[in-house]
Amino acid sequence: MTLTETLTGKSPRTAVAALARDVVKIYGRGDTAVRALDGATLSIPAGRFTAVMGPSGSGKSTLMHALAGLDTVDEGQVLIGDTDLAGLSERQRTLLRREHVGFVFQSFNLVPTLTAAENIELPLTLAGRRADQAWIDELVEMLGLADRLLHRPAELSGGQQQRAAVARALAARPRIVFADEPTGNLDSRAGEALLGFLRHAAHELGQTIVMVTHDATAAAYADRVVFLADGRVVGELPDPTVPEILSRMAGLGSSARSGKEK
Amino acid sequence: MWRLIIRNTLARRGRLALTLLAVLLGVTFVTGSLVLTDTSQRLLDEQFRTATAGVDLTIREAVAFDSAMGVEVARDPLPAEIVDRIRAVPGVAAATPVVRGQGLLEAGGKTIVPSGPSLLASWEPAPVGPFTLRSGRAPAADGEVVVDVATARQHRIGLGAEVTVRAERTARLRVVGLAGFAQADGLPNSTVALVARPAAQRLLALGTDVSEVAVVAADGADVQRVRGAVSAALGSRYEVSSSRDIAASSAAAAKNQVSYLQVMLLALAAAALLVGAFLIANTFSIVVTHRTRELALLRAAGATGAQVMRSVLGEALFVGVLASVAGTGLGIAVASGLRRLAGSFGMTLPGGGLDVTARTLVVSLVVGVGVTVLSALGPARRAARVAPVEAMRRTAAEGVAGRSGWGRTMIRTGAGAVLTALGLAGLAIVLAGPGSVVVLGGAAVCAVVGLALLGPAVTPGMVRLLGRPLAVTGVPGRLARESAARAPRRTSATALALAFGLALISFTTVLGASIRESAARSYTEAVSADYVVESARNEMLGGLPEHAYHHVSELPQVAVASRIRYGHWKDGQTTEALTAVDPATLSRVTSLHMVAGRLDALSDNTADNTADNTAGGIVLAANVAKERNLTVGDSIAMTFSRTGTRRLKVVGLLRDRDAQALSTSYIVSLDTYQRNYKEHVDASVFVKVADGVSDAEARKAIDGALADSPTAQVRDQAAAVAGRTLMIDQVLGLVTVLLMLTVLIALMGITNTLALSIIERTREIGLLRAVGMTGAQLRWMIRGEAVLVAALAIVAGVALGVAFAAGTVAALGRTSEATLMLPAGQLLLVVAVAALAGLLAGLLPARRAARLDVLTAVAAS
Repeated sequence: MTLTETLTGKSPRTAVAALARDVVKIYGRGDTAVRALDGATLSIPAGRFTAVMGPSGSGKSTLMHALAGLDTVDEGQVLIGDTDLAGLSERQRTLLRREHVGFVFQSFNLVPTLTAAENIELPLTLAGRRADQAWIDELVEMLGLADRLLHRPAELSGGQQQRAAVARALAARPRIVFADEPTGNLDSRAGEALLGFLRHAAHELGQTIVMVTHDATAAAYADRVVFLADGRVVGELPDPTVPEILSRMAGLGSSARSGKEK
Repeated sequence: MWRLIIRNTLARRGRLALTLLAVLLGVTFVTGSLVLTDTSQRLLDEQFRTATAGVDLTIREAVAFDSAMGVEVARDPLPAEIVDRIRAVPGVAAATPVVRGQGLLEAGGKTIVPSGPSLLASWEPAPVGPFTLRSGRAPAADGEVVVDVATARQHRIGLGAEVTVRAERTARLRVVGLAGFAQADGLPNSTVALVARPAAQRLLALGTDVSEVAVVAADGADVQRVRGAVSAALGSRYEVSSSRDIAASSAAAAKNQVSYLQVMLLALAAAALLVGAFLIANTFSIVVTHRTRELALLRAAGATGAQVMRSVLGEALFVGVLASVAGTGLGIAVASGLRRLAGSFGMTLPGGGLDVTARTLVVSLVVGVGVTVLSALGPARRAARVAPVEAMRRTAAEGVAGRSGWGRTMIRTGAGAVLTALGLAGLAIVLAGPGSVVVLGGAAVCAVVGLALLGPAVTPGMVRLLGRPLAVTGVPGRLARESAARAPRRTSATALALAFGLALISFTTVLGASIRESAARSYTEAVSADYVVESARNEMLGGLPEHAYHHVSELPQVAVASRIRYGHWKDGQTTEALTAVDPATLSRVTSLHMVAGRLDALSDNTADNTADNTAGGIVLAANVAKERNLTVGDSIAMTFSRTGTRRLKVVGLLRDRDAQALSTSYIVSLDTYQRNYKEHVDASVFVKVADGVSDAEARKAIDGALADSPTAQVRDQAAAVAGRTLMIDQVLGLVTVLLMLTVLIALMGITNTLALSIIERTREIGLLRAVGMTGAQLRWMIRGEAVLVAALAIVAGVALGVAFAAGTVAALGRTSEATLMLPAGQLLLVVAVAALAGLLAGLLPARRAARLDVLTAVAAS
C-alpha cells in the first residue's frame, strides 16, 4: 500500500474502476458489417496502470472508446464506477466524462488558442468547477511544466504538449484516465519520461490508467497487459516485461492468421 | 479538365451553396431592376405614342421648355379661330380642337384620388382621340361623360351611373359609355373622364378656347412640309410639333422619375454584389485551404500551376454561370414584386407585361459571372502557388486560411493604413470646413479600401477587445473569441461584408434623419401660421385648387390667409425651382429673417425695381447669393417656360434656413409668378386664426370651406411637417428595405464562413467534446463567434456610416441648412437587428458542429 492509499483509506486493488462485459460493437451493415468488438469482457481495477495491446484491427481503440463513454455499444454492458453507460443520453455521457474520465490522445491534445494552464484546467472550467489549485500546482511541478504554463501549444515541444495533456487528464481527479498511444508521436526519451510519470501516477497517486498501445516497450511500464484479437480479450500478462510481451504478441499474430485460415 | 471541375463543384455543393445563393440574389436584384425600369419606360413610351397615334401634327402655345423635373409645363389655351386658319393651310386634311385638363372624379359620394393624374378631356373620335369605346356611346349632351374601364371597374361605376367631376367648375354627369386606351383598360394610375367638347370647355373655364389643335395631314402630303406651312401661317406664338416628337418628349418627362429609380436600384444592386464578392472570395479562399493537400497532389501528379489556377477559376465560372442563369430567371419573376414595393413607398410605376431585353440578359449574366470569377481570382492564384511537397508535409488543413508571405502582409497592411489615414484625413477636412462632397466621396472610397486591406492586421485586437464580455461568460465564450481572432483574414473579410451593408444603412439613416430634422426645424421656426392647407396628393407643384384659398380667406374666423406657389425655371441647362409668395400677407403667418433688403420690396413694381417690364424683384437665399456672387441691386437671368429669359432684380437676401422653410432658394411675388407662369395651383395656404376664435371653431370653419376641394387638407404644424418629410421617409424606407438584402447576403457570409471553419476545426471540436464540452456549450461557442463577427461589423459599419453621414451633413451645411441628427432609436434598432441576425447566422453551423460525431472528430487524425 502506498502512502496516498493509506491516507485516503482506499483499497484500490479490490475496487473496479470500469467494466466491459460481453461487449459487441458492429460497424456498417449487411455484407460490409464489421464486428469490431465481439464479446469483449474486461475489468479495469482501480489504482492500477493497465495496457491494452493487440494487432491493428483487433478492436483495442474501439474498446477504449466504449469504456470511456465516447461511443455506445450494440450489445453487452459497460460500467464506469457504478454507472451503467447504457441508460445514459449523449449529454449525460458528456457530463460523466467531464467528471470521471480523463483523456490523453496520440496528438492534437490541446486547444491551440488556449495557454497550457488554460488547457490543463479546461475540463474543470467547462464544468464550471473551481480548480484545486494545490493539486494542479503539484501536477505541474511533477510534470516539469511550471515555466511553460503561459505558453500556447504551438510554443511547446511535443513532449511538453503531451505532458500538459496528462496534467489536463488528471486535473479533475477523474476515476479513470484513458491514454491512446500517448507516446506515438514522441521521441524515445520524451516517451520514457511520460510513461514513467503515468506509472508514478498509478502507484503513488492511486490514479487508474488505461493505455492503448502497440509498442511493447511502452506496455512494459504497465502493471498488467491485456491482449485483444478479433474483438475479444484473449489473454493478459501481470507485471510484464518486454520479451514476454513480444512473444505473446507474436503468438497473437499467428493465432489471428490461423483464425483466418479456419 | 471540365469533368474534374464539375465533379469537384458538385462534390462540394454544400460549401458552395451559399456562394451560389449570394450571386443569385445579387443577379436577381440587377435583373429585376433592369426589367422593371425597361418595362416602365416601354409602357410610358407606348402610352404616349398611343395618345398621339392618329395625329400628324399638334399645335400648342409656344414655350421655352416643355417640362421640368418630370412635370410638363402648363400652356395658355389657343383661341378657337385658329382652327379655321389651320384648316385653310394646304395639305391639312383635318384640324381638330382638343380640350384637356385636370378633373377629379367623384363616384358614390367618394372622391377618387389616383396616384397619377385625373384626366378630364374632350371626347374626340379616332383617329384624333386615343380612347376607344368599349361599351355605351360617346358623350354628346352637356351632362354626359365616358370614363375609363379600369376606373369604372375598380370603383363600380356602371353605365347610367351619376358621377361628379370637379375641375374649375363642378358638375354632376351621367356615365353613357366606358372607354379603353388602345389594348389597355385605362391609363396607369389615373382616372379618365371624357366629355363633349363644349362641356369640357365649360368645366375647365376655357370659354371658347381650346388646349391644342390636332392636325391630320392629307394623304400623300409631306408632313414636314405641312408643318412648315402651318407654322408660317400661325407665326411664332404657336408651336407646331410633330406628334411623334411630342410623344417622345412627354414620355421622356415621365421617364425621368423612372431613370432616377433605375440609378438608385442599380446602385443598391451593386452594393449587394460587392458584399456578395466578399463572400465568394472568402468561400473560395477557405475551400482552397481545405484542398491544399489535394491540390498539392495534383501538382505532384504533374499539373502545372496554371492548370490548378484554371481548375479553381473553372469552378467559380461554373458557380457563376449557374447562379447567374437562376438569378436572371428569378429577377424576371420578382420584377413585378419590386414594382409593388416601389409603389408601397410612394413611387408609382405603370403596370403591364414585362420587358426582357437582350441587354438585360447580357448585363445580368456578365455581371454575375464576372463578379464570381473576379472574386475567385485571388484564391485561385494562391492555389496555383501550392507546392507539390505540401501533399506530404501537411497532415491536415488546420492552418490559418490564406497564409501569405510576410512581405506581402506588410505591404498590404501598410497600404491599408495609408489609405485609411487618407480617408480619415479627408473626412476630417470636410468636417472642419473646407472640403466638398467630392472630397468626401474620395475619402469614403479610401477608407473602405483601406479598411479592407488593414482588416486582417487589426482584427485580432478588435475581436479580443469586443469579445471581452463574451470571454467572461466562460470557456465557450473565450474559445469563440479566440477562434475569431485566430483567422484574422477570414474574420475581417466576413465582418467587412456585413460592415459595408450596415455602413450604408446607418449612413442613409443618419443622413435622412438629419435632412428630415433640419427641414422640420426650419419649417417650425419660420412658419407661425396656425393651420396650413395643402393638397393630400403629393404633387410636385402642390396641386391645391385655387378656390380653396379664396374660400378660406373669406372666412370671418380667419385673420389672414397667405398662399405660396412653386414653379420651375431654367438657368441655362439646369432646372431650378422658385417659390411665389404674397409679400403683403406672408410676414403675418411666418417669421422670416432677411439678411439684406426687404421682403415687401418684391411687390414694388416701380420701373426702378424691374429690369424689364414683365419681370419683378426676387429675394435669394443668402448662400445662393454668395455662390452666384450677387447682392441687393444686382439682377439674375431666369428662363421661364412661357415668357423666355427675363432678368429679375435682387431686392433682398433671406436667411438660408427660412428659404428652406419656403422650399426653394428663389422667392418672387405672386404677381411676378402670374406674369410668367400659366400654372394656377397653390402649394400651401398658411392660415392665421382670428383673435377670439378657438382653434376647434376655426378648424371646423376651414373644413367647411374646403368641402368642395376634396384633395385639400387642413394641417396643423406637426402634420404639415410630416407632409413635407413624407418624401424623405418614403425614399429612406425603400432604400433601407433594399439595403437589407446586402445585410442578408453578408449574414449568409457569416453562416458560410463558420460552417467551413467547423470542417477545419473538426479535431479541435472533437477534443473539446471528449474532455467534456456539452452540445449546448459547443453551440453557444459557435453562436458566440457569429455574434462576435457581427459585433465587429456593427462597430466598423455603424462608425463608418455615421462618420460619413456627419461629413455629408457638414458638406451640405455649407450650401443649405443642415445639422447632424443622430437618430439613436433607429441606430440602436440597426445594431439590434444586426446582432440578432448574427445570432441567427450562427444557428446552422452551431447545430452542425454539435451534431459532429465525437468519435469521428477524435479519430480524424
